[in-house]
Amino acid sequence: MDNNKMEQLKKKYKDIPIPLQLDGVVEQALRKKNNKRPLALWGAGVAAAAVIFTTSLNISPALAKSLSDVPVVGDLVEVLTFKEYHVSEGNYEVDIQVPKVDNMENTSLQESLNNKYLEESQQLYEKFMSEMGAQKAFGEDGHLKIESGYEIKTETNQILSIGRYVEETMASSATTIHYDTIDKQNQLLITLPSLFKDNSYIEVISENIKQQMRQQMEEDESKVYWIEPSDPDAFTTIKENQNFYINADNQLVISFNEYEVAPGYMGAVEFIIPTEELQGVLVSNEYLK
Amino acid sequence: MLKWKLNQDKMIAEYVMQNKENFYRLAYSYVQNPDDALDIVQDSIQKAITSEQLKDQKAIKSWFYKIIVNTSLDFLRRKKKITVVDDTTIQLHMKGREDHYKDIDLHQALNELLPEYRIVIVLRYFEDLKIEEVAEILDLNINTVKTRIYKALKILRVQMEEFNTEGERHNG
Repeated sequence: MDNNKMEQLKKKYKDIPIPLQLDGVVEQALRKKNNKRPLALWGAGVAAAAVIFTTSLNISPALAKSLSDVPVVGDLVEVLTFKEYHVSEGNYEVDIQVPKVDNMENTSLQESLNNKYLEESQQLYEKFMSEMGAQKAFGEDGHLKIESGYEIKTETNQILSIGRYVEETMASSATTIHYDTIDKQNQLLITLPSLFKDNSYIEVISENIKQQMRQQMEEDESKVYWIEPSDPDAFTTIKENQNFYINADNQLVISFNEYEVAPGYMGAVEFIIPTEELQGVLVSNEYLK
Repeated sequence: MLKWKLNQDKMIAEYVMQNKENFYRLAYSYVQNPDDALDIVQDSIQKAITSEQLKDQKAIKSWFYKIIVNTSLDFLRRKKKITVVDDTTIQLHMKGREDHYKDIDLHQALNELLPEYRIVIVLRYFEDLKIEEVAEILDLNINTVKTRIYKALKILRVQMEEFNTEGERHNG
């Protein structure tokens, strides 16, 4: 039997290189469901490149944000780029910016945040290096890209919300974002449970989000959330410490990572919870108005 | 939007995200260049999304492969098979040439097969589909599929357990 020959042929087939544009092309096709476009026999390369460019701008905060501007936060408390990791070897690329909070009076909070940022960035960097090493050892012509950085989501006299994102691109890409929100005046880290009287907020917020999901799906048929109760991965409730930040209008914004509540092409999604919906369960209107 | 449509779109979106690389390879095996293969993937997804209700949701794999096969064939028909070998293809071949002389001949032979013979090998042995599924995708009856696989293997001079091409069988 020549099973071995067939195995070799199969391997060759599976080794057909996957262009980086594939993700963008697929996402674009899934989004634009009603815009039938004629099959273009020419110019496909240009079209694909344009698709990539526009979707990257939409999904990657890093591309949209210039690297050079260091956000300065009022009231002395500031966030700087503390350290950068950068490696670029062929199809392997890593770009990590580690933020650092500075000038806080509460130095232990400052230190614990900064340690967390540094530690997580180092882990990410090490993960990248070992993954790259492994792929190279197997002689694979791999693609791996990790991009991580931060953005100031909100900055008022009282509140500072820092979002740190990680975008990993291997066969497909996944974006995760983590937020930390600091009360600058009282020098406190604001956690989600600390805003509410008791755990009933989980139910209140979850119900509101489900309502928003349904409404969005009704209004825009390209949007899909996993919400059907029959679905094994259906969204039921937020986590006690669900990712969140407070926006400049003093509203609570609940954030979900890519794939958490929706198919990948929806990206990371967030929901603004109207404060009046929360009024009954809030401890006070100090942060949320 | 109708509920079945919503569920179907969701299912298609998930299936596509999980299998996009397989779709790409299948399209590539027909058109042999990345730009056209990407175009076919995109067009196939749009055809799938705008299509009617799937009768049997378990058949999504055959159904989607069928769309890609038909889109690829339409494309080749329009293009009348003008073969342009791009850099990636050249590199793919060059790379193989350095380490395995014999494989590259076999690989070359596969690429030189007529598309209708190549596709049965791709679907049956590379995508690991059952003969019945291959027949369903290609709109052929099972015997025709078997004949084509048999002939393709013979041309490639590869013997597989289920198709003994080494001399004809004379059992009884």
